[in-house]
Amino acid sequence: MSVLARSVGNAFRNKVRSGAVVIILAVAIGLALSMLVANQAVADKITSLKASVGNNLTVNPAGSRGGQGGGEPLTAADLSTASTVAHVSSVTGTLSLRLSSNASTTATAPGGQGGGPAGRAASGTTSLVSAIDPGTLGNRANGSTSSSGGTGAGSTAVRPAFSIPIEATGIAGAVNAAGVPINITDGTALNDFAGTSAQALVGSTLATKNSLKVGSMFTVDDRTMTISGIFDAGTAFDNNAIYLPLTAAQTLASRPGEISTMTVLVDSIDNVDAAKTALASALGSTRVDVTAGSANLGSAISSLSSVQSISLIGFIAALGTAGLIVLLIMIMVVRERRREIGVLKAIGASNRSIGVQFVFEALVLVVMGSVVGAVIAAFSSNSIVGALVSSNTGTTTAAARSGRQALRAAGQTAGGFGAAAGPGGGRGAFAGASRLIGTVSTSLGWQTLVLGVLGILLIAALGALIPALLTAKVRPIEVLRGE
Amino acid sequence: MLEVKDVVKSFKTGDHTIKPVNGVSFSVEQGTFAAILGKSGSGKSTLLSLLGALDKATSGDVLVDGVNISQLPDSKLTAYRRDDIGFVFQQYNLIPNLSAKENVMLPMEFAGVSRAERSARAVELLSQVELAEETHDRKANKLSGGQQQRVSIARALANRPKLILADEPTGNLDDETGELIIELLRSLCQEKNTTILVVTHDQALARKTNRRFRLARGKITEITQG
Repeated sequence: MSVLARSVGNAFRNKVRSGAVVIILAVAIGLALSMLVANQAVADKITSLKASVGNNLTVNPAGSRGGQGGGEPLTAADLSTASTVAHVSSVTGTLSLRLSSNASTTATAPGGQGGGPAGRAASGTTSLVSAIDPGTLGNRANGSTSSSGGTGAGSTAVRPAFSIPIEATGIAGAVNAAGVPINITDGTALNDFAGTSAQALVGSTLATKNSLKVGSMFTVDDRTMTISGIFDAGTAFDNNAIYLPLTAAQTLASRPGEISTMTVLVDSIDNVDAAKTALASALGSTRVDVTAGSANLGSAISSLSSVQSISLIGFIAALGTAGLIVLLIMIMVVRERRREIGVLKAIGASNRSIGVQFVFEALVLVVMGSVVGAVIAAFSSNSIVGALVSSNTGTTTAAARSGRQALRAAGQTAGGFGAAAGPGGGRGAFAGASRLIGTVSTSLGWQTLVLGVLGILLIAALGALIPALLTAKVRPIEVLRGE
Repeated sequence: MLEVKDVVKSFKTGDHTIKPVNGVSFSVEQGTFAAILGKSGSGKSTLLSLLGALDKATSGDVLVDGVNISQLPDSKLTAYRRDDIGFVFQQYNLIPNLSAKENVMLPMEFAGVSRAERSARAVELLSQVELAEETHDRKANKLSGGQQQRVSIARALANRPKLILADEPTGNLDDETGELIIELLRSLCQEKNTTILVVTHDQALARKTNRRFRLARGKITEITQG
């Protein structure tokens, strides 16, 4: 009978106890594997989120995002400063404008577009008609039917019909404000970026609403623009927009050199954080907000990093527990079998061969616990990851929700356009990180399994080593105890 | 040949020093069947542990075929116990979850004997100690006391030792079975020229040995009258 066979036999000498130990080990190992799976799934998600955002940084005036919020506008000088920052490959500036349609402006005077209680005034007018029906959400957010209790006597006034403004973005290349290439479905990209340029790109839903095609014309303020291409941005809201040459947009809005958003391309994803800090420092951290990719990426990654840390701690704690279980059980077994160890030594067994026998015995228990634990992990890891991610992003979502409520409250007192940031629009600064994270799917891949089992075997070996060393201290004369 | 020269083993208990073995000297020729008699607490088991290298003497020498085992390092003592000594205990001390045959194979496994060879030798030894073949694969804890002691003797013989030390080998057996075990040891001593030293308080057993010693208050004396 070999040492291994003897160890297997010894492991089942007390079947009830061994069964109980295997079950306890299986729970600890199952938890450890689930945590490892969660850790790797979250790490993969973080990588994919970072990859989806790429190497872009977005610079906005402090307190604003895109066309919303406050602060002082960026300038061409800021563009030059940003381009000199370390690790910055290129810098693109865009200007966001909101255009109200001529018909709507007439209808809503004197309050005008954005005359509701929230938001900001339109930057100009256009002959285009918005392709988006404000609906209940847009009207509610814009306060079209709100009560004007402040006028006294409880009188109620119904505001004129509200029309969603058309988003106009001045661009200096073939990419949008987020640094993503514009998807042109018909016609060509802009190629005349002079201040006098009359070229424009129109979103597909806006083109359909206004029966426009490539070559058609419309007006922005008093300038007649010609459609050079039609684009598809993926959503109805984003397709209710136009792109203009940057300098033309600045000229039309009488904001020469002004920029609302800078998109900075960093040379490597590893340098994004360093470039972000350097940009904030170069442009003035009180003047600008520098964000990596989307506004929610930071909070999403922060939430996922918390999950990653928790799962790593959980993995280590569960592994440590498994090791401790093995250690205590084996110490107990060694104490129980002191006399037997004495017998083995009396008949010529070396300390090493007895130690190896006890390590194998511990490993038999751990291997069985690992097999059962792997099955437990296979069934429970998805639920555990889901619970970890939702409990962590829950905090973020709650913060986002309170942020949206605060924005709405502010809008109702300050006046202006609030639909975009409202819950229905979902495009605002506080859009949920949980939506960005989506679903974190797990799978018990062979790499995870091998890594987990190796870790467990390592802990088990360490857990068994101390008892094995204890066997070396048992003197052969123990065999005569009680003789 | 076994030579014991002025061996002392002392223990400290509080302020007192106890010497269960105090200046013991004797020698036994190879192939002798000898007994050490003594009352409980006379130091018999302590002396046995010193002769079997289970413990180290405080002073004095134990020589087996001229090799002083009192001065051997631990690694050599392991080899000495494995190759030159066989133990038979009062409580048998078999590994309970191993079969009779596996228990006998165990010392040979530690000596690096091949599996086939140790299996064949275990069967041969179990037959020599007259253990029925159908009990060879029975777990040790399923054997009777007499059967377990036979397995214990077979295990002691496994590596062809020069010396077998038996601590009260009949202490847990009825008279009839005890007689059989003594006869077995006696015949083995004659056939294999193995020195067998039995520690006992059983006068009847002692009378069947070639030489008898008495241990009292840590001192040993040979009993010469028949």
